[in-house]
Amino acid sequence: MAIESGKSAKRPRPPSATRNPNPTAHQNTVGAHTTLAMSDSDARQSKAWTYSRRGYALAQSFRQLRRRKLASLSTLLVFGITLALPALIFFTANSLAALGNRSVGEESITAYLTMQTLDLDGAALAQRLQSQPGIKATRYVSRDEALALFNAQTQINQAVELLGENPLPGAIIVYPDTSALNESAIAQLASQLDQLTAVERVQFDLRWVKRLQAVLNLGRTIGWVLAGFLTLTALLVIGNTMRLELLRRQNELEVSRLLGASRSFLNRPILYAGAVYGFIGGVLACGIALLALNGLRDPTAELSALYSGGFELLLPTVSQLLMVVAGATILGLAGAIVTLCQPKTQFLQNRRTGI
Amino acid sequence: MIQFENVSLEYTTDQYALRNVSFILPDGSFTFLTGHSGAGKSSLLKLIARLEKPTAGDIIIDGIDLSRVKPRQEHKLRQQMGLVFQDNQLLDDRSVFDNVALPLIIGGYRYSEIKTRVKAALKRVGLGHRAYDEPLSLSGGEQQRVGIARAVVAKPRLLLADEPTGNLDADISAEIMQLLMQFSASGVSVLVATHDTGLLDTFDFPRIQLHQGKLVDVHAGAPRNRTRAQFTSGEFA
Ligand SMILES: Nc1ncnc2c1ncn2[C@@H]1O[C@H](COP(=O)(O)OP(=O)(O)OP(=O)(O)O)[C@@H](O)[C@H]1O
Ligand SMILES: [Mg+2]
Repeated sequence: MAIESGKSAKRPRPPSATRNPNPTAHQNTVGAHTTLAMSDSDARQSKAWTYSRRGYALAQSFRQLRRRKLASLSTLLVFGITLALPALIFFTANSLAALGNRSVGEESITAYLTMQTLDLDGAALAQRLQSQPGIKATRYVSRDEALALFNAQTQINQAVELLGENPLPGAIIVYPDTSALNESAIAQLASQLDQLTAVERVQFDLRWVKRLQAVLNLGRTIGWVLAGFLTLTALLVIGNTMRLELLRRQNELEVSRLLGASRSFLNRPILYAGAVYGFIGGVLACGIALLALNGLRDPTAELSALYSGGFELLLPTVSQLLMVVAGATILGLAGAIVTLCQPKTQFLQNRRTGI
Repeated sequence: MIQFENVSLEYTTDQYALRNVSFILPDGSFTFLTGHSGAGKSSLLKLIARLEKPTAGDIIIDGIDLSRVKPRQEHKLRQQMGLVFQDNQLLDDRSVFDNVALPLIIGGYRYSEIKTRVKAALKRVGLGHRAYDEPLSLSGGEQQRVGIARAVVAKPRLLLADEPTGNLDADISAEIMQLLMQFSASGVSVLVATHDTGLLDTFDFPRIQLHQGKLVDVHAGAPRNRTRAQFTSGEFA
């Protein structure tokens, strides 16, 4: 068999070979140079790892990328740009969520005390409340202070004089902790305050918080829907690229099948190509998203300053970046799988081969 | 050993590419498969390589009934065979070496083994010095020899060649035939489909003749070319 004869070629020429004038004559003339020529050109041989099944598949994937640089580059750019927005949304989601929990203005809860409460007791209560969780600061407004404030705004002096005593109660203004500023937290805090015996009535204004959260919620929903669509687009782009890849490789795949390649051997280069495209596209998407983020930082800082600060676009963490790259790789793989699962793109139909 | 028992193949109903074909080819035999264009030669080879399935009859190779081979295992069957085509089917995007290495990569051989085997196979067909050339830079005959090297590099038990000399002139054709015969001599069963009458005249080997899908003639060949086990046919034994 082949290998026996191959091995025997190293030994003195086997008798069977001498019977055939033509090939042997040829071999004899070149025989002397053969080994030299081979070791000379060893440099041109592909790397050893490309001769394993997996290595071969990977090498084939990269080879396509290298061969069709321009086409590959434009596909990768399309993929990268398409994925950049979802990545950007993913990166900024945390910052935006933090914005929802941040104080925009000076949200506060005002607890009006009963008329019987003395200034001393009111101040003590304010002090006590300040140390409670969820409360950043408190301020006691005494009855006199309230009247003074009131007077500054309205000309109520005369009425008070008429009444003969200060009609205003003392109050404690509670500033909730800004890290936990959402609707339910504030409502809960308010009801806690309301239960205190010294407290007559609690007043708070949630309009700002509600509005901001509504806007953020809408923004978030639109963002995710958009991200979903774009991710789907990216999947289609990859799927299409893989279909082209499949067609381009048809000949190679047909020949491989005739040489005994299993289905997994035939599928593997396409799967790897999908993953490679996905990976590089993911890296590109991260790069583009980072650039965009960088561009957004200054305008955001300005805006934030206008709204009494506290909001900042955070740069993505390494694990977030890795997640985007991993996601894109999986997406690429999925595109390849979708293509391979389609009712055969007429591939492996042996149109060219006679046999 | 290859055994056909009343094998028929219809691509479309009632259009027989092969009809009731029976024969036995012993191990290490060298056999020609002849017949006019459309007689069913390629179809017969496809059946052996399990690229088509017979619509009737049994094909048994080395004791294995092909109808029992699961689709997932068919590639393993093909790995035991070497296939040579008329238009050699070399891949233009890689070197001669890499073309010949492909069946070994598919078979999962180690790199060191691949290297030795490919070099040996190329040397065997007289192309050791062209290992790192592109297939397109070779002549037709040389390309066909690369095709043969690729077909035998994984030590197949069976070599199927479909018009291996179709595009070559007589001298080169004879050279290719000599090569195929060498492999037969080393124990590989070789089945060569051809309608090259010149070749058939030169090499008096056993042959199966097809006509419109039917086995019409069996020729035993010159006595020195016959193999131990007698070459038989269901109809003509
Ligand atoms: N894939 C196919 N689908 C339908 N009919 C086919 C197919 N392949 C071959 N045939 C038909 O089967 C018959 C035998 O074809 P086959 O290719 O086996 O002939 P052949 O002997 O190899 O001819 P040639 O010498 O021209 O290669 C022909 O009539 C052909 O039209
Ligand atoms: Mg044919």
